[in-house]
Amino acid sequence: MNTLIIARRVIKQLQGDRRFLALSIIAPLIIIYFLKLLFDAFSSPFPITDLMIPISAFILHFLCFILCAILLVQERTRGTLERMLISGYRQSSIIGGYTIGYLGLATIQAAAVLFESLWLFKLDYSKETILILFVVIWLLAIVSVMLGIFISTFARHEGHVFPFIPLIILPSVFLTGLFIDVNDLPGWAEFIGKCLPLHYALNIIHEIIKPEYSLSNTYLDFAILTGYIFFLWVMASVTLRETA
Amino acid sequence: MQNAVEIDSLCKDYGKLQALKNIHLKVPEGTIYGLIGPNGAGKTTLIKALVGALKPTSGIVKVLGMDPLRDKWKLRMQIGYMPQTPSLYDDLSAKRNILFFGSAQQIPDLERKTGEILAFAELTDRADDLVRNFSGGMKKRVSLCCALIHQPKIVFLDEPTAAIDPHLKLQLWKMFRQLANSGVTLFISTHLMEEALLCDQVAILRSGEILIVDTPLKILERGKTTVLISENGVTRESIIDSNPESLATELHRFGLNEHITSVKLQPDDMEDIVLSIIGKKEKQ
Repeated sequence: MNTLIIARRVIKQLQGDRRFLALSIIAPLIIIYFLKLLFDAFSSPFPITDLMIPISAFILHFLCFILCAILLVQERTRGTLERMLISGYRQSSIIGGYTIGYLGLATIQAAAVLFESLWLFKLDYSKETILILFVVIWLLAIVSVMLGIFISTFARHEGHVFPFIPLIILPSVFLTGLFIDVNDLPGWAEFIGKCLPLHYALNIIHEIIKPEYSLSNTYLDFAILTGYIFFLWVMASVTLRETA
Repeated sequence: MQNAVEIDSLCKDYGKLQALKNIHLKVPEGTIYGLIGPNGAGKTTLIKALVGALKPTSGIVKVLGMDPLRDKWKLRMQIGYMPQTPSLYDDLSAKRNILFFGSAQQIPDLERKTGEILAFAELTDRADDLVRNFSGGMKKRVSLCCALIHQPKIVFLDEPTAAIDPHLKLQLWKMFRQLANSGVTLFISTHLMEEALLCDQVAILRSGEILIVDTPLKILERGKTTVLISENGVTRESIIDSNPESLATELHRFGLNEHITSVKLQPDDMEDIVLSIIGKKEKQ
């Protein structure tokens, strides 16, 4: 019950913050358009079909993480997080409420990013593939929201969120299989890459965009990605502090 | 009278900094208890320890007979907390803010109670206005409503009257007295010494240490009075303590004759007394 009350509050907050909403939806679309310009400028053909959906997933992962972390840190700096807890809302309700509240936005973001990529880069996938891609990107967005909430615990103000970008987000670019296969990395780097949730989302995407894919090859990755949601929920519930 | 709060040997350290040093306090139920001290004295830290938002380094804290950490969720149904900053959602109306924070406790008949609390705070006319359009003082009143909506037995108010105009300050204190008269215990921190006079009991806190606990009247008695006696156009000044006998003794020295044209008394105010208590402690 309290989870839904907080979710309603988050939705209202998002609706009221037009600048935040615009940034959340328009920014990834602009970045993808810039990528289109970049890839078009290359003289030799670029493996767009293999790269574009994984890159789109990463962009959304990054934005959901950072925006949600900042929202939670704002709650902390304004004192409303502390007040919520002292009023009787529990950590798990707050995290659940935030996630559900953000779900609508994450759905719009995932759909917008996916359809823009398909349209701009003229990627021709079956309806089933597109649906699975949407589900993966959507799940990744939820994981990113959870990760943002978890990281917000370690930040006293909005600026403290940024050091986590080189710590968590940038390694995802290099070590999770976005540009190269993780198996080609040194053992320790491969281990780090496999600890990051983007790796499992990319595994699914790489499989699904194959002309002849097998859905059963993605079950484990889907399970791990979903497991990340529960793991981060528990971690964030345990670590969400009341005071700055 | 039972105690709403009992603190025994409470200490809180932040690394090498001792924020609270061996605090002992007892707050009787249904009273206004003032925690007076300059900025940085440890008032907020003490309140956070009482509402279970902070883990003490050592010592025992009981609020309404419960441990604020162990019995956190049970206790929070019975306490109200008004933080130093308004801590409200600017994009919600006054009413929606109160409903949101009140919903945490699943209070029956919340809508009606919200209407009542808004009327108590004289905010009925502005109930549906967004908090972002409110003055600082009005935000404080909304914040107080959020702390009171679930009809708590004890309310912790952290500097509730800081940075608001004297008229509103008076209004808030009127509300505090009304609450205390209805049996609610109020634990109020302030750095405004004159507010100590409005409390039933006062503790003076400096650098994490309780210097004195007493009623405001008893504290006032610790002050000095400057006696200015004008005789034949010459004004003599002497300082006496607050005992009525001391004034009589001083006047006997002069005898009341026709040459004495005026006798003026300048007693210390609460601020002078508190500052002198803090000053004495610093010299020790």
